[in-house]
Amino acid sequence: MKLNFSIKTSFYSFYLISLIFLGGCSNSQMRSLYGLNSLFSQPSISYREPSLGLKFLATIVNDNGQEKIKLFDLRGKRSVALPGINRFDAQPISVSISANGARLALIRQRVDQTELLLYRRNLGTLQRLEISPKGIPRRVSIDASGKILAVQVSREGRWYIDVIRLQS
Amino acid sequence: MPQVDRLQDSFLTRSQEEPALSGNGDKLALIVDQNGKPSVQLRDLRNGKVLPLRHLVRHQPHSSPSLSWNGRYLAVIVQRGNRRMVVIEDSLNGRIHQLPLPGERIPIRLSLSPDAAQLAVQVTDRGRWRIQLFDLSEKIEPDRSMGSLRSIDLPALGK
Repeated sequence: MKLNFSIKTSFYSFYLISLIFLGGCSNSQMRSLYGLNSLFSQPSISYREPSLGLKFLATIVNDNGQEKIKLFDLRGKRSVALPGINRFDAQPISVSISANGARLALIRQRVDQTELLLYRRNLGTLQRLEISPKGIPRRVSIDASGKILAVQVSREGRWYIDVIRLQS
Repeated sequence: MPQVDRLQDSFLTRSQEEPALSGNGDKLALIVDQNGKPSVQLRDLRNGKVLPLRHLVRHQPHSSPSLSWNGRYLAVIVQRGNRRMVVIEDSLNGRIHQLPLPGERIPIRLSLSPDAAQLAVQVTDRGRWRIQLFDLSEKIEPDRSMGSLRSIDLPALGK
């Protein structure tokens, strides 16, 4: 009887201590979205730099040595055309998508230039954004509205972050 | 002509890398060098202040930060022992979610959806980069901005 009480007390003490220590922490595997992951499982293609909107995923793919930006509609489970965004003589470096997928910010290298660009999907237009003072962009992030960009820029051997607010 | 702000830093020699904006554009996560350790930092862009992080002050090097809509969730890749691991800090309740990948794959880059319902992770798989999508809706509650969601959702639906 006494032993039983002691075991119970030890168990509850251990349980309480565990709760105190683990209360601010959870650790379990995430649920993989297998149906969607099949979109990115072509064996000959490499996928990198994912950027999620609410219903779209933008990524840089390497298909037989040719790098390009691709957009996937996660609800329709299909890729979406991005006319005019990729060039055979340009290599994409970074991409970021707005929440509704209407705008993509991207950095690409073309010949000896590294450019920061904004792609408006409804118009199919690509707008070059100047970096001032001059610098070499490396990575970009766009906000949900597609009107604010944060850009990692190299100037005189140091990385800076510029925040660019677009008027429209 | 766009307005350009350069992020200020009290340490003039400190490098600022891997920017990640919150959906509403109010917060910015970035990687800074802290005593030689790449560490995630959270800034409020409205006043330039560095915001405190409860858990993400160790397990460096940190890489590839990503923020949800209001900046409630900050996802980042950290080092735990000899493993790279995805973690998400919830600034509202102070919890940290450790998210091991199936098959002990190594995370390279990640992106959190604005509502924090999904996570995309770039992993290495048999010499190639792959992207794996995960559902977070059963692990964390969404971080939505309903007003913004309604107004920007319409063009995507073609309405």
